[in-house]
Amino acid sequence: MNQSSEENSQTQTPKKVLVIGGGIAGLTAAWELTRLNLDVELVERSSFLGGHAIQFCCKAADECQKCGACSVEKRLLEVIQEPRIKVCLRSELKGMNRNSRFSYTLSRQPLHIDPKKCTNCGLCFEKCPAPGAIFRGYSKNNVPLYAINEGKCLYFRDRSCTLCQDLCSEKAIDLDQEQGQISDEADAIVVASGFQAFDPVDKPRYGYGINKNLITALDLERMLREQGDVVRPSDNKAPKKIAFIQCVGSRDHKLGHGFCSQVCCAYAMRMAEAIRHRHPETKVSIFYMDIQNCGKNFSKFYKRCKDSIRFVRFMPGDIFQGDQDQLILFYGDEKDGHAVREPFDLVVLSVGIMPGSSNAGLADMLKLDLDEHGFFSFADPLDSTSTSQPGIFLAGTAQGPKDIADSMAQAGQAARRVGQYLGICFGNSTTY
Amino acid sequence: MDTTVLVIGGGWNGIKVSFELACAGYRIVLIESGTSIGGQAPYDHLASTSKQELSILLDRVKEDEGIEVLVSTRPVSLTGVPGDFHIRLEQHGQILEKATGAVVVALEAERVSMAEAYRLSPGENVLNQSQFEHVLASTKERGLPGGDGSKDVLFLVGLQQEGSPLVMERAMRSALEIQASEGCQATVLVGNVKLAEDGLESLYKQSREKGVLYFKLKGFPRIRQNGSNLRVGFFDGVLHGDVELTPDLLVVEEAIRPHPEIRDLARVLGVDTDAEGFFQADNVHYLPVRSNREGIYVMGPARRPCNLSHGWTDAQNAVLAVCHLLREGKRLVPKEKAKIHRGKCTICLTCFRVCPHGAIHWDNRAVISSAACQGCGICAGECPMDAIQLVDYRDDQMEAQILASTEKGVDGPQIIAFCCQNSAYEAGQMARLFGSSLPEGLQIIKVPCAGKVDVEYILTAFEAGADGVLVLACHKDNCKSQQGNTFAEWRVEDAGRMLEEIGMEKERLHFATIASNMSVEFVRITREMEDKLKELGPNRIKKQAAG
Ligand SMILES: Cc1cc2nc3c(=O)[nH]c(=O)nc-3n(C[C@H](O)[C@H](O)[C@H](O)COP(=O)(O)OP(=O)(O)OC[C@H]3O[C@@H](n4cnc5c(N)ncnc54)[C@H](O)[C@@H]3O)c2cc1C
Ligand code: SF4
Ligand code: SF4
Repeated sequence: MNQSSEENSQTQTPKKVLVIGGGIAGLTAAWELTRLNLDVELVERSSFLGGHAIQFCCKAADECQKCGACSVEKRLLEVIQEPRIKVCLRSELKGMNRNSRFSYTLSRQPLHIDPKKCTNCGLCFEKCPAPGAIFRGYSKNNVPLYAINEGKCLYFRDRSCTLCQDLCSEKAIDLDQEQGQISDEADAIVVASGFQAFDPVDKPRYGYGINKNLITALDLERMLREQGDVVRPSDNKAPKKIAFIQCVGSRDHKLGHGFCSQVCCAYAMRMAEAIRHRHPETKVSIFYMDIQNCGKNFSKFYKRCKDSIRFVRFMPGDIFQGDQDQLILFYGDEKDGHAVREPFDLVVLSVGIMPGSSNAGLADMLKLDLDEHGFFSFADPLDSTSTSQPGIFLAGTAQGPKDIADSMAQAGQAARRVGQYLGICFGNSTTY
Repeated sequence: MDTTVLVIGGGWNGIKVSFELACAGYRIVLIESGTSIGGQAPYDHLASTSKQELSILLDRVKEDEGIEVLVSTRPVSLTGVPGDFHIRLEQHGQILEKATGAVVVALEAERVSMAEAYRLSPGENVLNQSQFEHVLASTKERGLPGGDGSKDVLFLVGLQQEGSPLVMERAMRSALEIQASEGCQATVLVGNVKLAEDGLESLYKQSREKGVLYFKLKGFPRIRQNGSNLRVGFFDGVLHGDVELTPDLLVVEEAIRPHPEIRDLARVLGVDTDAEGFFQADNVHYLPVRSNREGIYVMGPARRPCNLSHGWTDAQNAVLAVCHLLREGKRLVPKEKAKIHRGKCTICLTCFRVCPHGAIHWDNRAVISSAACQGCGICAGECPMDAIQLVDYRDDQMEAQILASTEKGVDGPQIIAFCCQNSAYEAGQMARLFGSSLPEGLQIIKVPCAGKVDVEYILTAFEAGADGVLVLACHKDNCKSQQGNTFAEWRVEDAGRMLEEIGMEKERLHFATIASNMSVEFVRITREMEDKLKELGPNRIKKQAAG
């Protein structure tokens, strides 16, 4: 098995891998692949790398709570500093043909901001008259740091404004840039297209979108990251009583979601602890079915949480509007079952990990299978990166719910499997 | 550099990683303290194709000439540096010496019956999970033990331990199997149903549809064991009342504990364990398979309870790490990050003791291994003789930077913030880039780890005229060098006492922790410092100097 390592010696043109999705799984796969002397084309549909996890807050209380959010920051920095990774933002796979390699076509929406020229001065962001037309990435490591939302930009509505383009002293903005196509070839593919968070509009009983103080956990992650604190959206005041409702969209057989999202108990407890660290007087209740484990020494962590958070084993149904923008939850008392009515200042829906919106399209183009829930299914039960197509591997939540740490580990595995598929072998086989 | 890799643990994880490393071109020494490799079946449920895969794998590992298998063998000591370790092994009272470039620890976990914790004495009608599986497999036709009446089987899961999906899955599978037998009823008493693993929610649903009963308990049930007579009572939160069951058979869960050899091995290898006794400190920087020492990797159930699929994910990550470290065996000389001045060193052993990465060894004098050193500078900060300098952060460079940063006159208070490059420095850069309003007199000085910040630097900053000094580190448990933040905090306390002695307000010096992604926190900490300094007025040393 110790074949010659010469076939991959640096003198030959390095092989290239297409990585689909620039979340933590795609970033990690890309980074590990370059360490195996492979070139990478990293394709990201949105305007920024980092996926969901780059939007998350640090959940440290007295100490780090091992949520992993900062690992994403670090990995993104490593990726943008790695010249072997070519990043294609706002791009999507449009077609794939298998010959001796994989020839593929990407469609590319215009960036309008030239990452090479932009100095991140932020003038466009500051001066743009149309709210939301220019938006900023979550991390300082997003390149470019700003992006233009064509749906909100006045130029794309009626050509009435070119302010940003005129103001930019670096001439980095080109509003007329057109959409393009890229055709190229790769030797292997990693599918890391991630997930979508459950949209609570699909559970109308909660009335998400009606009361401002009913938010999703993703909203809370972003709020804690951007403002460093939690407030009630209705009045920007600190909430005194917060409820988390677990399993929103997950473990819901009525919706056909017969799976656990594996991360929601962890993030809810960690965020609750982080909030209580800042505001020890805040009362937090978590409504749950079963609490799932996370990280090392979970029983100790859970015990600590139980000391400061109230856990109620009940899934509240409808959520009602109370006075002063409060929200009313009804639940059964655990002792005698009688109905309890309790108001909260802020209710957080712990939304789950749902299959990505592009899974079906990608599966079709790449001839991969999806499982009963719509995640990519793996071929070998002992290798969750494997697919029915040689040379195509899975990483991260595209394959099924998992946290940041597991997404990174799986991405490492996928990179290694690509290396194996391409015959990469380092060891000094000439000595024996 | 040696391209042999030592793999410790001949279970299914050790076998897998040995095979994969051999595929990647490395020579392997696989050691196992027991008498054979692959002896124990994996903990988790496997498809029959996977079982076949295992036996093929075992054959290939046994046949591979590049893999030397040593059974009844334990490591005794490890010396050397990453790429060139020397390990002494003990086999039947004999010492074997091996050279190895890297070490992968792939010990399996241990399963321990929890009958005692449940205050049950094992017997015909009280079995632990493994025993019950054995009975299921062997006596399917003959019926269950305990005579004809043995039809109601009660499983106890997650009531005396938090449990895990691994434990849960086994109970659910056995319950399903029993439920399918004619006239049998399976009931599960459980704390939290642990389903955070692919496919377990479906299994849970399937088992309930087949008639398995689940009761979720908040406390511990009343169990009375009187010979063949079993009574289990508890409060049920759904029925809101007491329930009493008289099962024919009780099946008690097992705990998954760290391998008993881990404690000794951790000492031999000089690597950290966690609070439960598994390998790897609870620190996200080490994920997935790094230990605190370069060149020593920990994987699978050696670092946390996990199923085989996750263990093998680790195995591939260990291969990546080894490939990166050893490459083809001819690596460029690693960049030197820290230097010991021989003339100044009094051989006090401080650096050797404090280095969190085991990068300093003893060869009549202290020697830093460039391959192992992470450049944190904790040793430099602790060395009482100032005999250690970091190449990129020499004391004279640091001093020059401190002096330069107070030169510019500013309106507001002058604040010098020593920022760890892994956290605070990044957060500060982000705050700047996002145009957040930071104190005008804020000067950021980057350090490789807060553990590099010397008391000297803090005092120099005040002497140079800073009105306030911040030392900003990673959160506890988030330091890449494990204790850099703790050292920094101690030094800030020391420096604070010194300031008080010379009559300076100790509030001018502040230690705080922060993560790289929290620019808002950076703004808050620095602004709070500014506000405090505005109240306190200018630094008196500076005033004296000016007057
Ligand atoms: C509210 C919430 C909080 C969480 N908190 C934590 C936490 O604290 N700790 C933790 O460990 N985990 C947490 N998680 C889980 C965490 O979000 C995931 O583990 C992680 O983000 C998965 O990364 P990924 O790369 O697989 O997917 P994603 O983050 O979804 O990234 C996928 C990327 O691929 C892109 N993409 C999608 N389709 C295509 C396509 N067709 N072509 C090109 N690009 C495409 C997307 O735009 C996206 O950038 C949380 C999850 C939620 C919902
Ligand atoms: S709580 Fe999360 S983001 Fe904060 S330091 Fe710990 S792992 Fe990093
Ligand atoms: S700089 Fe850090 S890693 Fe290097 S020898 Fe000193 S203490 Fe060890």
